[in-house]
Amino acid sequence: MTKLILNRRRFIGTAAATGAALASPAYLRRAHAQSGGEVNIWTYNDFVPEAFKAQFEAETGIKVNIRLVDDQGKQFNLLAAEQPNPTVDIMTVAGHRFLQFIDNELLAPLDTDRLTNWGNINPTFSESDWATINDNKWGAPILSGMEVLSYNTDYVSAEEALTWDTLFSETYRGQTAYIIQDMMSIVMLMMGHDGNMVAYMDDPERAAEIVEEAKAFLIEHKPLVRKYYDSGAEFQQMMVNQDIVLGHSWNGPAAALINDGFPLGMAIPNEGSYGFVYTFNITNNAPNADNAYTFLDAILASPEVGAAMTKASGFISTYKDSDQYLTDLERKSTSFPEEQLANLQFFRAEANEMKYGLVDPAVEAIKAA
Amino acid sequence: MTYDAAARKNGQPNAERPSDRTFWGRLAGWGPYHGLMRLATASPRRQFLILAAFPILWVLTQHLGPMLQMMRVSLTDAYPVAPGVEQSFTLDNYARFFGDSIFWMPFFRTLIFAVVFTFCTLILTYPVAYFLARHVSRKNQMLLLLLLLIPFWVGEIVRTYAIMILLGNTGAVNLVLKTLGLIDRPIPFMYTSFSMGVGIVYLTALYMLLPLYSALEKLPKSVNEAAADLGAGAWTRFRRVSLPLTIEGISSGCTLVFLISTGFYATPVLLGGPSTTVFAETIAGFFHVAGDQWPTGAAFATIMFMAALIITTVFQKLMKSLRKGEAT
Amino acid sequence: MNDRVELFRGNRIFLACIYWAFVLYVFVPLILMVLMGFKESNFIGFPITSWTLDWYTGIFADAEVVSTFAYSVAIAVLSTLISVIVGIWIAVLLEGRKFWGRTAMFGMTLLPALVPGIISAIAFRIYARFLGIEPGMGAIVWAHAVHNVPFVVLVVMARLSTLPKSQIEAARDLGADPMITFLRITLPYLVPAILGASIFCLLLSFDDFVRSFFLGGYEPTLPVLIFAKLRSGMSPEINAIATVALVLTAVIGVWAERFTRRMNKDS
Repeated sequence: MTKLILNRRRFIGTAAATGAALASPAYLRRAHAQSGGEVNIWTYNDFVPEAFKAQFEAETGIKVNIRLVDDQGKQFNLLAAEQPNPTVDIMTVAGHRFLQFIDNELLAPLDTDRLTNWGNINPTFSESDWATINDNKWGAPILSGMEVLSYNTDYVSAEEALTWDTLFSETYRGQTAYIIQDMMSIVMLMMGHDGNMVAYMDDPERAAEIVEEAKAFLIEHKPLVRKYYDSGAEFQQMMVNQDIVLGHSWNGPAAALINDGFPLGMAIPNEGSYGFVYTFNITNNAPNADNAYTFLDAILASPEVGAAMTKASGFISTYKDSDQYLTDLERKSTSFPEEQLANLQFFRAEANEMKYGLVDPAVEAIKAA
Repeated sequence: MTYDAAARKNGQPNAERPSDRTFWGRLAGWGPYHGLMRLATASPRRQFLILAAFPILWVLTQHLGPMLQMMRVSLTDAYPVAPGVEQSFTLDNYARFFGDSIFWMPFFRTLIFAVVFTFCTLILTYPVAYFLARHVSRKNQMLLLLLLLIPFWVGEIVRTYAIMILLGNTGAVNLVLKTLGLIDRPIPFMYTSFSMGVGIVYLTALYMLLPLYSALEKLPKSVNEAAADLGAGAWTRFRRVSLPLTIEGISSGCTLVFLISTGFYATPVLLGGPSTTVFAETIAGFFHVAGDQWPTGAAFATIMFMAALIITTVFQKLMKSLRKGEAT
Repeated sequence: MNDRVELFRGNRIFLACIYWAFVLYVFVPLILMVLMGFKESNFIGFPITSWTLDWYTGIFADAEVVSTFAYSVAIAVLSTLISVIVGIWIAVLLEGRKFWGRTAMFGMTLLPALVPGIISAIAFRIYARFLGIEPGMGAIVWAHAVHNVPFVVLVVMARLSTLPKSQIEAARDLGADPMITFLRITLPYLVPAILGASIFCLLLSFDDFVRSFFLGGYEPTLPVLIFAKLRSGMSPEINAIATVALVLTAVIGVWAERFTRRMNKDS
């Protein structure tokens, strides 16, 4: 533990001496001027590495209070219940859920000029289309996830995993699982439609038809599936118990299994798939907004912190050069071949209201069928 | 008139209870207490009001308060209210349940599951409680009962995952069967109503066991022996003697288990299969997705607890009349 | 006569078998849970290829787990005390003489137990704000106490209904006021029910996730911590935490039992 902190100290020292040299004094000055206080964060387990937290507290005198959460919906409900005077400064929102938070005025726009280390984020994530809503940035991307097809390599070949069709084939009857809400988007994509439904925003009837089609497909294939699951932990357990050999999952939980030595492979199939990004966001009316900026700037300072987040979660770090701090196995479990990445697109939020207005009842109907 | 004075007046000196005179007697005779008690019990009406005031206040403010808040939400068109939007009241959220048959399935499934699992728990734990209360010496009873309580100190989630390790394809049961050479290929126990039942009964057994045990434990052994002397067989003795005398335990155990199992969320979601969605899952869905679905979720929750309330009340009434019927 | 003895013995053996089968049913998952805490891997499940004690040493090195456990225990004990007192009071009222609105009162008493967890948590959260209760330990204790009252009422009412009226009448004939009658006759008679109800309350509080999550502050209770850890997979660490919590609760339980027994002896 001590060694890690020493390493990090050295690293931040180097960073200050080189690229971020001009910015560092401002960051330190602000920290000193504040002389302590606190910052309240809602986030997932291990998203804020313990060593970083300890160092940040020691250097700035700002106490970091972390409240562990376990899903997006609960964060939303809790924050909504706390309005208009939230206790939280920073929360962790998945990029494609921004809109819901923004519409309810729960988030404050992010002033990236106050973040001297903003440039440390890979522009693929910091400057992408989903990240800008109403001409504002709403969060600092930290980890990236995607919907993948995961398979037990002892039973399923890499070729079979190149198409989503395998998930619905008779061969693996009773040995598959998926998150049904996510699968709706993917099935639409399989059928050649826009799973984000942005293309049908002006044509609600067409949108309804497409959802109906995806719903019919999933109902037809319901006898083949073992389980509609919700959480990554369930997916991992089903794989370990060999209740399933093939399933749709997020890359994070799958990577964690691979890093543990489980014979698992994952692929972004040819029909394509969707990606999403976890971001740290500053809440509207945050009680300690200045400290929140200090914290965000500090956590973005070092790619080593990004690597620590990847190690803990299995999701891919958005920091430039963070992969040099990963082991070979960790690097393998968080990277995909170029040609597969080309099939990936990000979830978009623009049509969410219409999309989930159609998808949620469809999901209920599939479960009830 | 003090307790001691009354006792003396009635010519029943409580000689065997010296402590009465030391503490209780002194308390009863202590001026301020005595005065207060006299004031409080001046009339039956006042006495009742003093007894009832706190519970009524508590139930109204603490039990009804949050529920009324929820019902209010269930009648609105949007919650939490987005800034600058006018909130209005509507019955649409209730209409949505009655208008769409896809919601009926999980609703009735939940009620049926709750009844079935309650019954299973009863069948399973009655003999256990009976054995403990009737066939084990007093000294060992507490020990064996405490033994059974141990697993219940582990949280719902951890125990649910333990069930997965037990029933999975590479789980303990399949492992044992395979080692014994009874099967070649694992039996898929998981993600069926079976695995769900195993998990739920595992969680509820305690809430049935304790009321049954305390009812059976009160039953004098002599009653059963007398019946046996009259030539009654084991089944008849059970049906005519033990069962009627333990009906309160059964009724309170079943009510507890029924209430708890209608509210289960995590275990059915984790252990159930694609076709075992319960209503709690449907309701939770409305709170996980978009914010404007809260009113629908609240309305559905109101429908659920109304149904549970009606079933519980009917069940309690039924049990009461059964008890009365047996008594006469 | 011999037949009868035979019959009793047959019954006894049959029931003993069921009892031990039940013990097996509740203990096998528990044993699996403890076993998995020693697995050297990030995931529980068979096969176990190598063993480790690291998960356990890790817990004792992690101050958060220990303080979280203490926090959960404190919440459970405080909320149980409140639930039991309020629950007995309500039960005495409901089992007493008939009064107008008794059925309604009974229904309202059951309410907190009838509402699904997530709804009740949100309802409590909204109501806490309405009452001005800040999120944190006080709020969790309050929510647990309210939620558990119905369970106490049901258990205590079942026992009260069997209290022989003659005992009360005898005490009243002796001139005891209602307060003393309650303390000297009713309360001692209720002891088994109160013990049972306390166990329910402690368990319900100790295991509650959703209310603790919505009403808590930045300090997690044990289930909240476990849920958060579960996000990164069902690791043997969680099993180790649960095992340690189980052992600690057992130790506290035995100590409390000894302590009360000594208190009783002394007085």
